[in-house]
Amino acid sequence: MSFEYEFPHRHLLGIEGLNRLDIEFLLNRSEELINTKTPEQTLAGKTLINMFFENSTRTQGSFEISAKRLGADVVNMAVQSSSVKKGETLVDTAMTLNAMEPDLLVIRHGASGGVRLLSRKVDCAVVNAGDGTHEHPTQALLDALTIRRRKGRLEGLKIAICGDILHSRVARSNTMLLHQMGAEVRLVGPPTLLPPGTESWGAASLHTNMIEGVTGCDVVMMLRLQLERMNGMYLPSKREFFQLYGLDEKKLEHAATDALIMHPGPMNRGVEIDSAITETANSTITEQVSMGVYVRMAVLETLARNLDRSREAST
Amino acid sequence: MSRTILHNARVIDPASDYDGPGGVIVEDGIIVDMGPHVGPEKDEHSKMVDCHGLCLAPGLVDLRVKTGEPGSEHRETLASASVAAVAGGITSMVVMPDTDPVIDTPALVDYLRRAGQTDAVRNRVYPAGALSQGLKSERMSELSLMKDAGAVLFTQVDEAVRSSNFLRRSLQYARALDAKIMLRPDDPDIATGSMNASGFAARLGLRGLPKQAEWIGLQRDLTLAEMTGSTMIVDQVTTRRSLEIVEDARARGQKIHVTSAAHSLYFNELDIGDGTRDPDKAYLTYCKVNPPFRSEEDRLALIEGLRDGRLDVIVSAHDPQPPEEKRLPFDEASFGAAGLETLLSALTTLSDQPEYDLDLLTILRAMTVNPADILGLEQGRLAAGAPADLILFDPRRPWKCKRDKLRSRSGNSPFDGRLLTGQVMKTMVEGEWVFELTEDSLT
Repeated sequence: MSFEYEFPHRHLLGIEGLNRLDIEFLLNRSEELINTKTPEQTLAGKTLINMFFENSTRTQGSFEISAKRLGADVVNMAVQSSSVKKGETLVDTAMTLNAMEPDLLVIRHGASGGVRLLSRKVDCAVVNAGDGTHEHPTQALLDALTIRRRKGRLEGLKIAICGDILHSRVARSNTMLLHQMGAEVRLVGPPTLLPPGTESWGAASLHTNMIEGVTGCDVVMMLRLQLERMNGMYLPSKREFFQLYGLDEKKLEHAATDALIMHPGPMNRGVEIDSAITETANSTITEQVSMGVYVRMAVLETLARNLDRSREAST
Repeated sequence: MSRTILHNARVIDPASDYDGPGGVIVEDGIIVDMGPHVGPEKDEHSKMVDCHGLCLAPGLVDLRVKTGEPGSEHRETLASASVAAVAGGITSMVVMPDTDPVIDTPALVDYLRRAGQTDAVRNRVYPAGALSQGLKSERMSELSLMKDAGAVLFTQVDEAVRSSNFLRRSLQYARALDAKIMLRPDDPDIATGSMNASGFAARLGLRGLPKQAEWIGLQRDLTLAEMTGSTMIVDQVTTRRSLEIVEDARARGQKIHVTSAAHSLYFNELDIGDGTRDPDKAYLTYCKVNPPFRSEEDRLALIEGLRDGRLDVIVSAHDPQPPEEKRLPFDEASFGAAGLETLLSALTTLSDQPEYDLDLLTILRAMTVNPADILGLEQGRLAAGAPADLILFDPRRPWKCKRDKLRSRSGNSPFDGRLLTGQVMKTMVEGEWVFELTEDSLT
């Protein structure tokens, strides 16, 4: 390990609450894992339950692969067919899961704060895989890792996050993390999708003009636009959104020449991003997916170690 | 004849602006005398009660109480609510009509009035009627017949009146009957969230209930009240600007009463918690109420309104919710807070803090004589001839509110775990003691 650092948290519920050392520790450990051909089976004998109350093939798969590479037994709970659909409260679900004595719980939930609520009722370690419009910490970590590997640093970079900021947990977690690491974060989007109070997340500025927002940026991070926002209340149409906020060659010209193009996926080609630029050398979109596995390995391994320590301490 | 002399008390009667030593004499459930001259008598036919310097005040009149009766008795019954109410010093309570079925016929009003008179119910219960049939704001309820059956006011409770024309006609019609109308100002089109709309809500990823919804609703309701020449009880304002809007209407000669919930004077939106200080204090659903806790500035404005009299009435807004409705993610949890047992204590706690400059006469006025006068009730005062609904309380007694110790059937109190100052020691309804504090409340 790069240096001895005791990650002080039992769960990973969000970026809020992590300090710079916590973040650097996880990023450094992820980087080590990238360079390890056969990782130590640090999760051997451990049980991880994936519980996704909202469908997500990629994030769930990424957690499953990460855990299996470290030797964990992985159980994917199918929420669709479970008692959750039969009206069981989230707290009851938590207590039921807890009774199965897992070591790690990976939860995605449609309500903000839902994962935290669950975490308070269980004895194992909990990873937030996205809660409502609140946080998605592993996404922010994998984005940071991708940027750091390409740019060699995070400090001092100008980063534009563009699109539906209001409903994006990715935007919240990324803004908090990148600000914490010394980057200048600009949020860009239509006025109906820019929430108030973003300075408390650490955003440096807000822009409703995309060209103004991306000018001089080292990274342009696009967000997925939920198509159901197109009902006319937030936005009039896809084509108008693409014209104003879709990332294309013309807008990209205003960013730094070697600006990274990022997207957490899945992409709506032709809505928030022009197909042509997704396959250029500066696009990191598939790389982000690869980094996701290493970041999640680092997170799971760290939380499992903390869990072992606390169990030893209590016996 | 039964005669009780309560003496050696600090008598507080907002109706006569009296706050001083003395006592009260009760005969057959009626107050016959009060004041500094009342002391112990050598009279074997009278019962002497030495109050040991405790505060003696009229029992509280609460204009907004929800129970689950009829239809959701697991939440609360009239009897369980009354037990909680008298422990909080509430001797009269108006119960909301948004039950199952909705109280929208004279027969249902009569049923509820009778249910409130059974032996298990320890205080006075006054039914409120639904302004519209089924609370749907399409057809008026039979306001006159329901009033005759005992409905003391008419309200839509938490259901907004979508149709301005319906509200106009209802106000016009009710005016001739002198029926009281209580409306919560809201615009449900923009109030679709679960907490105050703010930067804090955005950071928590929670949808907002903008204070502008309250202003829009209030402007419309007051405009229609002016158009029809009606009086109105504005139910639970939460912002500085709402009080200003009401003052504007009053300046034009409109007769408007305004209430706030005790919890809105006590908490602000940050009490919902983001977990940064205490990981267990985040997304607290016991703090999910509608109208929501607002900013600190608005909270202080409500206290200022109470101090200078612009805010007439404080209500408990008691809304019992069972655990299965609250042990949920914040957006999915139901609105509502239990409030009967903390109504007086919340206010005495504020009164105990000198920076708020709230004396006991001021806080009691908003919970006794003011609501009683709005409804035309005789209680709420220590006057000869008024019913002997009284409380004895210690304004400095500390106690810890714990949900499992609450007498209400549902313990969803935002005060859970909080230390409060001031507690009711004894409560009398119609000359009979119906509550006496026995346990040590700090443990």
